[in-house]
Amino acid sequence: MRYKSQRIAREYFLVALPLFFLQVVFGLLASVKYVWNYDPLLNILPFNIARTIHLNLLVFWLLLALMGATYYMVADEINTEIYSLRLARIQLWLLSASGVAAIIGYFFHWSFGMPFLEQPTIIKVAIVIGALMFLYNIVMTMFANHHKLTRTTATLLGGMVMLSVMFLFGIPFMPNLSTQYYFWWWVIHLWVEGAWELIAASLVAWCLIKLTGVSRKTVEGWVFAEVALVLLTGIIGTGHHYYWIGTPHYWLVWGAVFSAAEPIPIIMMLVDAVRDLLKARTLPIVNTLALAWLGAGAFVHFMGAGVWGFGQTLPQINRWTHGTQITASHGHFAFWGAYAMLAIALMYAVLPEIAGRAPNGKQGIGFAAFMCLNFSMIFMVMALLIAGIVQVYLQRVMGLDFLEVQGHLRLWFEVRLVAGCVFTVGTLLLLWDLVRLALPQRAERMAVEAVGAPAD
Amino acid sequence: MHTTRILLVVATVLSAIIFLGMTVDTLREMGPRTHADQISERVVAGKWLWQKNDCNDCHTILGIGGYYAPDVTKSYSIRGEAWLKAFLKDPAQMYPNTRQMPNFHFSDDQVGAIVAYLKWVSEVDTNGWPPAPEGVALQASGGQKVFLAQHCNTCHAIEGSGGTLAPDLTHVGSRRAEDWILQQINDPRSHKADSIMPSFAQLPGDQKQELADYLAGLK
Repeated sequence: MRYKSQRIAREYFLVALPLFFLQVVFGLLASVKYVWNYDPLLNILPFNIARTIHLNLLVFWLLLALMGATYYMVADEINTEIYSLRLARIQLWLLSASGVAAIIGYFFHWSFGMPFLEQPTIIKVAIVIGALMFLYNIVMTMFANHHKLTRTTATLLGGMVMLSVMFLFGIPFMPNLSTQYYFWWWVIHLWVEGAWELIAASLVAWCLIKLTGVSRKTVEGWVFAEVALVLLTGIIGTGHHYYWIGTPHYWLVWGAVFSAAEPIPIIMMLVDAVRDLLKARTLPIVNTLALAWLGAGAFVHFMGAGVWGFGQTLPQINRWTHGTQITASHGHFAFWGAYAMLAIALMYAVLPEIAGRAPNGKQGIGFAAFMCLNFSMIFMVMALLIAGIVQVYLQRVMGLDFLEVQGHLRLWFEVRLVAGCVFTVGTLLLLWDLVRLALPQRAERMAVEAVGAPAD
Repeated sequence: MHTTRILLVVATVLSAIIFLGMTVDTLREMGPRTHADQISERVVAGKWLWQKNDCNDCHTILGIGGYYAPDVTKSYSIRGEAWLKAFLKDPAQMYPNTRQMPNFHFSDDQVGAIVAYLKWVSEVDTNGWPPAPEGVALQASGGQKVFLAQHCNTCHAIEGSGGTLAPDLTHVGSRRAEDWILQQINDPRSHKADSIMPSFAQLPGDQKQELADYLAGLK
């Protein structure tokens, strides 16, 4: 850590981590409801509320973690303190308060009712204000020293602006459901297959430069080409959500062609990461855990978003799989690989620096968490995939009733529940390890105490 | 360096222009495809109830949402108005032994609005989604095909396969005469005044006859 204000990243992470744990807990509760028909919480926490909270916490903790990392990275890249530490702190509290208010409100049917965007309008306005504070702060920091603007930071800024603008399309209520969903995808799809990809590509590049010691020229070489391909395939690729929602037939062609090409930039990112990691073999690696999360993340991103997404993107297949557990499998795998693993990698990269620790200290618990989380996620995703395939066959091909088919899927929901329990244990281990890394080491603590101590 | 930067700008601007152009055309075409002129105040009230109660995080609609409960895109055409109204008033009475939906204690007016909304949704042109089950078409014939195609099995079971809401039909032929069954298909309320089974009088005569033949043969 070279600038004092970079320490704000730790505050963002320390709020994000418990939210991640809560996300997993609500996911676990929802998955129990898939296994047992008798639901003692039916009137307190029915499935829809559990799922709403599960999704909202996912978005909240990821955004907070990525924002914290962004503050750290921008100061690092631009060689300056963050423009306003106070604003960054107000932003953190505003966003956290909005999140908590939204989640409490869901228990009282205070909901906008569009999946992922259930926040009531007034809370969405607070989120927009928080995002604007963030953008302002980042832009002012970047342009404090604008000749230092690198490709990595430019990409990041582009992603952040796109993220904020797209969110606006999720705010209004539209009388026509088809129109509402048309613009809902501008938030959901253009976030995860547009804006967030840009932010992720940039943070991965910065992290690789930082962790491996491979030259900036090598790491940044492909960034713009990757981003260009993400946008070229991803923007019109939104069409793969416009097959069946009341939109014209031509989207079946446009959506199929462009979204089928979406894995290309993801493959490039994977090859890019592997290329950099191979180059780094001869260099001393300091932070093994951060690099493990980053490298594994590139692979799972490719599997979850690229392969699982491609698997059902063509309308001939999507016609049968749309709205089944196959989508749930893809959602879990892609979000985990593309964003959650990256957020964890960033925390491992940044926290030891803030706390002034050697990153290669005790890593046992960290690796145990890594194994627990990744293997149980794979089991979860495979169980949901099999459940989805059986569901497509029985429900869509054979024409059995929905609830009857759900009964036949019970075994796979049980496998998912067990994997979910292991995942929860992994989350606790991760939380333990990262909080430990976030705490100042004794030397730092003593220095702080010495400064703060009253003079003789 | 400069080549990729130019590529990036061109790719972004070009994609955005094409996408926005298609959006303009799509919004124009969506009017007739979704029967936008039929979105009455009642339909909008139903849509808001659907959103306010977070229905979409259990159910899918147009295939989007939670995967915990049935897709409702075609529920109006499959179940009919009477069934939907009875279900929304007291969900537990319909499916006592399976996954539960909470009772939202809707007023009659609210139930009417939700049903109006579901009716509107069921008429949206979805490019043929959800697809008609192929397995049924391949394997069943005659009256059994009609039975499955009309989704009778969502409420009635035969030999352990089907819903539990309505009477089991495994041995219906030994209880009821064919004429009685035909009458039930045409006008369920002629046998039971408060029946929630929808009428299938609109089916072609030969299909109704085949269905009655098939059911009367289940001894």
